[in-house]
Amino acid sequence: MTEANTVSLQVHAVSSAFQEPEWVLRLREDAWQRFTEMPEPRLEKTDLRKRGWETGTFVASPTGVPESVRHYVNNLDHPYALFVDGHLIEVKHTEAQGQQGVIFTDIHTATLKHESLVKEHLASVVKVDDNKWSALSLALFAGGIFLYVPRNVQVDVPFESVHVFTAAQSGTYPRNLIVADELADVKFIDVTFSPEQKEKFTSSHVTEVVAKAGSRVHVGTADEFAKGATYFVTRRALVGKDAVVEWTVSDVSNAFTVELVEDILEGTGARGETRVIGVGYGRQHMDLTASMVHRGRHTESDITMHGALRERANSVFRSCTEIVKGAVGAGSEQHDRMIMIDRTARADAIPMLLIDENDVNRCGHAASVGKIDPNQVYYLMSRGIPQALATQMIIWGYLHDSVEALPSAPLRDLVVARIERELSR
Amino acid sequence: MAKPNFQVEDLHVSIEGKEILKGLNLHIRGGEIHAIMGPNGTGKSTLASSLMGHPHYEVTGGRVTLDGQDLLEMSTDERARAGLFLAMQYPSEVPGVSNANFIRQALNARMEEGKEIPVLKFHRTLQEKMKQLNIDPVFAERYLNEGFSGGEKKRNEILQMSMLEPRIAILDEIDSGLDIDALKVVANGVNSMKSDNIGFLIITHYQRLLNYIVPDYVHVMMQGRIVKSGDAKLAEELEAKGYDWLKEELGIEDETVEVDA
Ligand SMILES: Nc1ncnc2c1ncn2[C@@H]1O[C@H](COP(=O)(O)OP(=O)(O)O)[C@@H](O)[C@H]1O
Ligand SMILES: [Mg+2]
Repeated sequence: MTEANTVSLQVHAVSSAFQEPEWVLRLREDAWQRFTEMPEPRLEKTDLRKRGWETGTFVASPTGVPESVRHYVNNLDHPYALFVDGHLIEVKHTEAQGQQGVIFTDIHTATLKHESLVKEHLASVVKVDDNKWSALSLALFAGGIFLYVPRNVQVDVPFESVHVFTAAQSGTYPRNLIVADELADVKFIDVTFSPEQKEKFTSSHVTEVVAKAGSRVHVGTADEFAKGATYFVTRRALVGKDAVVEWTVSDVSNAFTVELVEDILEGTGARGETRVIGVGYGRQHMDLTASMVHRGRHTESDITMHGALRERANSVFRSCTEIVKGAVGAGSEQHDRMIMIDRTARADAIPMLLIDENDVNRCGHAASVGKIDPNQVYYLMSRGIPQALATQMIIWGYLHDSVEALPSAPLRDLVVARIERELSR
Repeated sequence: MAKPNFQVEDLHVSIEGKEILKGLNLHIRGGEIHAIMGPNGTGKSTLASSLMGHPHYEVTGGRVTLDGQDLLEMSTDERARAGLFLAMQYPSEVPGVSNANFIRQALNARMEEGKEIPVLKFHRTLQEKMKQLNIDPVFAERYLNEGFSGGEKKRNEILQMSMLEPRIAILDEIDSGLDIDALKVVANGVNSMKSDNIGFLIITHYQRLLNYIVPDYVHVMMQGRIVKSGDAKLAEELEAKGYDWLKEELGIEDETVEVDA
């Protein structure tokens, strides 16, 4: 009873800080209830028993924007929203977007101003009862954007949310909701900065995407998670008829993270493409699943995962393709490769195929874990390139195509800088 | 600058505890072309790889110097920067690293910081040399050796050599798998570089290449040693009479590096 009381105070603190309507508070309270009641999950490769589920104290007023982040957003010439510890600091819009009826606003404002749209879609893809951390997200979400692109509107420039997490006394709970109406075309970028070490709080990050018939959505991300905390990250898209959803997800962290990137290929001819770039260092634990669920007929998917691990990082990269009964003519491909840069790093690459349909078009998978090929290093060195640079070049080469796929130049630069920082140490 | 002076004295090399090179001597100066011939399995690639410092090969005795500097003390990249080059029999493929970037990094590694070659000048030179070697310009941006045919890999090795301008260049079976046109292109590339500033060591199984690159010295390798040396005529003689003739003359039954029981 005491526990429920204290923390439901936190739910109220968040809700009143954002002056939300009553229906949101009720969603949160219900979610909190579920969170406290749900059993602790057991994960195959990740031991959660020592992690705990403390959420900390909500920070009512944000600190300033760090210099490096200020520099990053100043270089953006597309619409973005900047959050510090869940609080909106600024939104930049561009003209073109407003004229076309695109909605780009923080999620809290959206619950007031675009109630019916948000009500219809919030927690429709990442549901409250999926697991303990999806309930936690809905209970405590603070910060995040609502992006709605109307029917037949194609936007060239990306929309971006930038999150900075500086507070050590709380978990982090951003939540993004993206709705692409029929034939819409949109790119979304989700960036986190969390350089500080954290207490052992539990964080839950959610991005849900509704991609209606014929739409195209590309989400590019750059995560940096702080060591100490436990991060649950859920990114899921519901992909309609002939719609295409791409994820290009990058993570350069030394945290404890359990992440899911998933496309539910619901409509006929839906297509999913997921690329993952993971660079782990320190004592990182990363349990990452890229998943494709083929429900519609003639659905197609591709998963490419590249990991590079330093120091005592330990990563599990799972690629999972599920083809349900009736999803005839599905095609899927998985490539999963991990390089252990330092001898002390550990990696697992696990391909999973769950196929209940006999009529499958193509279904390939390749997974490998290993060290850098010493013959490649020797070859580069034989031309005069020092060993450290040779090693870096080979790792860069291997991450190159996925980095190039990130949907904006500043994002690519940011990810390159983060990876470079970790490789050149 | 003085002519290159490359000296190998009584070189012994083992792989996994097995002795492959058993006392090899060689002296190459700038302006000279040496050829090493020999049947398969006689230690030719072992010589090339151990001179370049491949980590798999253990030097157990002897001396190697380039311009008086002790090469065996150096790491592979230091040897390269000292002026040694090896065109490999089986060069690696490196996905995601473009040919041009690779060569540029290799060149910059030779320059002092801040004195790197201007990008434009680099690309112009690269394209020029690619044209000479009959390499399609798009290969500059292709990933290093990835998906290259055997002949394309060999030409790419020669391209790197001509960009890096080494003092001593070792070409290990640069002719294998080449048709006659490609062979001529490769030979042309080598001949056009010939000067007092570079010495060549051309390793080959067949005499054919030596019709196009005429050697000053020919050495025959058997059992991990040089068993006979001569001039270009020796290569012709070998072509006419085969290695068996030489084995008989020298009283060698098994020319390969024998495995100790
Ligand atoms: N990487 C290696 N590991 C084990 N044995 C090797 C290796 N490279 C060469 N050898 C052995 O060394 C001997 C000489 O091989 P090599 O130098 O490749 O000859 P060549 O180039 O003249 O054909 C052979 O007996 C071969 O089996
Ligand atoms: Mg050989």
